[in-house]
Amino acid sequence: MKKDIFTKMQILSDSAKYDVSCSSSGSENNYKTGELGATNNSGICHTFTADGRCVSLLKVLLTNFCIYDCSYCINRVSNDIARAAFSPRELADITINFYKRNYIEGLFLSSGIIESEDHTMELILRTLRILRHEYKFNGYIHVKLIPGSDALLIEEVVHLASRVSSNIELPSDASLRLLAPNKTKEKVLAPLKLARNFSLERTNKPISMSTQLIIGATPESDLEILRLSSALYDKALLKRVYYSAYIPINDDKKLPSIITKPPLLREHRLYQADWLLRFYGFGYDEIVSERTPNLDEELDPKTFWALNNLHLFPIEINKASYEELLRIPGIGIRGAKKILKARRFKKLKLEDLVALRISTKRARYFILCDGRMQKELPHYAEHIRHALLAPPKEKKEQPTLFDGSALFGEL
Amino acid sequence: MTLLYDGSFETFLTLVHKMYYEKLNPDAILKKAPDTLLFDALHEVRYDETKSLAVFEALQKRFAKEHFERILHIFMCDGVDFEMDLLCYIITGFKSQRELENITLPYVFRLHALQKELFHISHKMSGFLRFEELEEGTLYAKLETKYSVLYFLGIHFSKRLNNQNYIIHDIQRSLAFVHTKEFKGVQKVAEFEAPKLSDAEQKFSKLWKTFFESVAIKSRENKKLQKCTVPLLYRTYMTEFMND
Repeated sequence: MKKDIFTKMQILSDSAKYDVSCSSSGSENNYKTGELGATNNSGICHTFTADGRCVSLLKVLLTNFCIYDCSYCINRVSNDIARAAFSPRELADITINFYKRNYIEGLFLSSGIIESEDHTMELILRTLRILRHEYKFNGYIHVKLIPGSDALLIEEVVHLASRVSSNIELPSDASLRLLAPNKTKEKVLAPLKLARNFSLERTNKPISMSTQLIIGATPESDLEILRLSSALYDKALLKRVYYSAYIPINDDKKLPSIITKPPLLREHRLYQADWLLRFYGFGYDEIVSERTPNLDEELDPKTFWALNNLHLFPIEINKASYEELLRIPGIGIRGAKKILKARRFKKLKLEDLVALRISTKRARYFILCDGRMQKELPHYAEHIRHALLAPPKEKKEQPTLFDGSALFGEL
Repeated sequence: MTLLYDGSFETFLTLVHKMYYEKLNPDAILKKAPDTLLFDALHEVRYDETKSLAVFEALQKRFAKEHFERILHIFMCDGVDFEMDLLCYIITGFKSQRELENITLPYVFRLHALQKELFHISHKMSGFLRFEELEEGTLYAKLETKYSVLYFLGIHFSKRLNNQNYIIHDIQRSLAFVHTKEFKGVQKVAEFEAPKLSDAEQKFSKLWKTFFESVAIKSRENKKLQKCTVPLLYRTYMTEFMND
């Protein structure tokens, strides 16, 4: 039976939704007069779904038919689910029409493996050619490279796409062997290495690439995960690593049971740690170690690090360098920049930070303001930890006019 | 002394001129005459072209580009009582341009913050604005925002919808940014009739809603977070939040 376009959209976006990557940032404005589409350096969120995630790209699979049988994946061949496929023309038309209405920033195109790796990549490529050459579309296009497809196909995709990715999914080879018998880490990383080399042949700025790791499906610790991310960033292979809390969708002996809740807090902490690696100048071995291989669930990784390195604090905010300011818990990039800007004009006190709308909830225990330190707490890790985790004081309710008891003294 | 002016940028410049040359020393500047009795002399400032232009040229000449632009941007923030802050800002600026980056001065900080809020709204709207396709193919979007960001949006879309005809209609302010081959810029909207949509419009808005419903992951549902990221205020004209 031939499916109508709405059913196809329903099936193919449903199948793609577990891919978390949806950013459209990091590419320069590139509009051309008389053509359609441009990318925006900061990225633009076009809407947010009921689970609170940003929608920036039309994220769909070209098809969810797949010849692979990966345990964690909803589209694996042994699953009995509704299958559908877009034709390249159909998908290109939807993309253009969505773009014109400002629904989306561009396309995120991935696919199940239909017939063979090369055939799948060829279909994706056909969609890209229609968009770029025929419709002269300059918006954002993210393509998932198909591991194992021909180098020539990858080369053309790299020249047409804004970003490419290939998902490692599982942080160790052992787990891959167990859950995704058709994949190995080498096989997954190979297209990314190819892609980088191809893009370097043409320009000196390599195409931006990303990958995704599934968290909580297998027993790897945060240490192993962050060590892997850090290595990928250091080699400048990747721009982003995404972490996806494993949501049990398949009932499989090798996986956590289907009633397990997704480890959302752990995912959140990993993203915080990832930010420390990319923007705050931290090394992964500062955040996690053999002694504490997993991130603290109660405290954010920076606060946790600071409490373990309390001898480095308090830091005088009027003298500290930008890098030092960034290491103070509760002070982020904006806060640090504001401090640098403001202290050219006066010596900053704690009240000044409040006036500058910099949060001092956590920072107050780690800073000196013009030689003065907070006096409520002794400078010990356990005291500070306790204070940070204490539940916020309940607000006293204001009596209302209609609350007779206060007026008449009834208790 | 309390000053009254009509709320326009030009008249405000006249006010600046009078303050310097007629030695006005205001405690408050109002856009509208108050309903209640004032215990203070109310002095109304009227637009004066020569005075206004003189101040405009002085600002252009003496203020750094970004400081000058900040003044213009502040005037896009409708409904905020920024006048006293802006007056202090201008007085400070004529003495020292460097001080205008001193965010430890409360009025400088407030103006920086206000400008940032304006940019924030503009950025959000660049994602949340929704176009509908009209019969002859023109794209049409309705806009309702706290501050006036129509011009910013018009420029933003002139890059990405370069080969399209489009209209962004600011409903509250009766203005529209028009982008056609012949004309690009802001126009006043005198009268307005609900336009006819193209045949394909319904199909794509339905397709978009299908997509929007289907990408949400049920086991991660978090409507509270969604309310923070797309506040109800912004949802009025967003296709996916509209009921048929």
